[in-house]
Amino acid sequence: MTRVRVTAPRQSATAAPGPSGNLPYPKELAEDSDAGRIFIRSLIRSQLRLALVVACGFLVILAVIAVFLVYGPGVAETRIFGIPLDWLVLGAGIYPVIGLSAWLYNRAAARNEARYQDLVEDK
Amino acid sequence: MNPAVGLSAFLAVSIATAVIGFYGLRISRTTGDFYVASRTVPPWWNASAIGGEYLSAASFLGVAGLILLSGTDALWFPVGYTAGYLMLLLFVAAPLRRSGAYTIPDFTEARLDSRLVRRVTSLVVVAVGWLYIVPQLHGAALTIRITTGLPSWVGSTAVVLVVCLTVVAGGMRSITFVQAFQYWLKLTALAVPVAFVLLVLAGNGTQPQAPLPLNPTGQSAAGAYQHISLLVALLFGTLGLPHVLVRFYTNPDGQSARRTTLIVLGLLSVFYVFPTLSGALGRMFAPDLAQSGQADALVLLLPGRFVGGVAGDMLSALVVAGAFAAFLSTTSGLVVSLSGVISQDLFGGSVKGFRLAALLAAVVPLGFALMTDTLALAGSVGLVFAFTASTICPVLLLGIWWRGLTDAGAIAGMLIGAFLCGGAMVVGTLMGPGNAPAWLAQPAAWSVPAAFAVTVTVSVMTKNRVPASVNRVMSRLHVPERPVVTER
Repeated sequence: MTRVRVTAPRQSATAAPGPSGNLPYPKELAEDSDAGRIFIRSLIRSQLRLALVVACGFLVILAVIAVFLVYGPGVAETRIFGIPLDWLVLGAGIYPVIGLSAWLYNRAAARNEARYQDLVEDK
Repeated sequence: MNPAVGLSAFLAVSIATAVIGFYGLRISRTTGDFYVASRTVPPWWNASAIGGEYLSAASFLGVAGLILLSGTDALWFPVGYTAGYLMLLLFVAAPLRRSGAYTIPDFTEARLDSRLVRRVTSLVVVAVGWLYIVPQLHGAALTIRITTGLPSWVGSTAVVLVVCLTVVAGGMRSITFVQAFQYWLKLTALAVPVAFVLLVLAGNGTQPQAPLPLNPTGQSAAGAYQHISLLVALLFGTLGLPHVLVRFYTNPDGQSARRTTLIVLGLLSVFYVFPTLSGALGRMFAPDLAQSGQADALVLLLPGRFVGGVAGDMLSALVVAGAFAAFLSTTSGLVVSLSGVISQDLFGGSVKGFRLAALLAAVVPLGFALMTDTLALAGSVGLVFAFTASTICPVLLLGIWWRGLTDAGAIAGMLIGAFLCGGAMVVGTLMGPGNAPAWLAQPAAWSVPAAFAVTVTVSVMTKNRVPASVNRVMSRLHVPERPVVTER
């Protein structure tokens, strides 16, 4: 795949999107200007921060569940519909937590990207 | 079990796989088609295909077998297998798709601008792929032996034959259809027999032979170290699996790569309900299977044991079909990604080279599988995850998120990770399964941090080797695509 690097003067970049608003806007323009580079850095940083927050949150929940199942008072005897609590939590209860984390992350990541695109277009 | 049942189920799956493969042949024409299905696969198809490829012998047979043996300790396996996709979604899915590379070696070469990094990554990827194919073939050998009474080698050889035929004929385009079909086949093949067994047991009021929390072979509970190490391996191993990553290139853009991953998480969560149920049923109603060393065959034997007559035979046939779908789909996914890597590095990336490479990718692990014996399936796959997490994962994560990564750091990290984790695997195997201490049997908890530390340290020491292209590549990885594509 060959990519063509666009090296137009910076001034013309600001005039790029026409009245139609949805013209193709080569992303290289953003990365060749100082402001564009800052935008990209902050996009990457916010995406990384988001991913780390979700990952750590999930791992903390996982650790709390694990500790609770081992040391929680009365866990070994608790049964719901005849199924031991630890089987219920590990066999079914964790999966919605995984799905929910993923769904929240997807929304937030898309929002970060939309914010970046707004910035680049307003520039 | 009636041998004719097992055999006809196996033949039916093989023929169905081959037919879908040849149907795909008419669509795939160009080299691009062969590798990544021209990136035109919609998220639902793609997610089913990823699920189909990922749910291997370990998930289909091994998880239930391990739950039968060790109960709640084994429930962490499916949790880890699923949560691994969460990590993949968070750190890898969209950027890797945006990188536009076909394979992991393509990615590391583009990111670090180095042919040598590419070579080392290729070696690691091929090692991971071969290690991962072996348990699939062991699973096939076990299934054929238990269900038809034929010698073990028939099963592994047959799987390799069918996979070679399909891959050589159709490339990845047809594989995508095959994989998607096989997810749904696997789900049906586990869910329907379990539902029938539950109905029968509830209907005739059978009393459990043993309580659910009791381990049938008296296996002692795993310690905190084993749990943590297992989770490290599964969480960080998934995002480096070559056959899973190559699937993400078939998404049209980064956003749809994330959507696909979310669907995959749903599909996996639904799937793992059924091995868990099978394992629980086995503990209560068939603990003798564990005592006679047939734990991995639990899923295959359960329906025949509790549902008699023709219905029992049909359910058994369905399970055998699902099991072979699992071996075939994971093996063919691995063979496709391995032959992508081998053919680009050895045969110049042509379609003919891809076919040659496919043969090479499938036949070598067959040799290993025929020489070695079946271990616990879920356990041996868990070790492959540990190896991936110690080698590919650090390079991938740091390459995507850290500008400071250098070629020297990447190579040092991969080699040290491979040496530490591979060494632990070899020594652990030589000492025998019961004798190896926990830190050798489950190396991920220390080998993964060590690989990360080496990669970062060497990169910092060789700061001047950060490639000049780093800003361009990083923005390519993270900047969202335009509605209208600007690349040619």
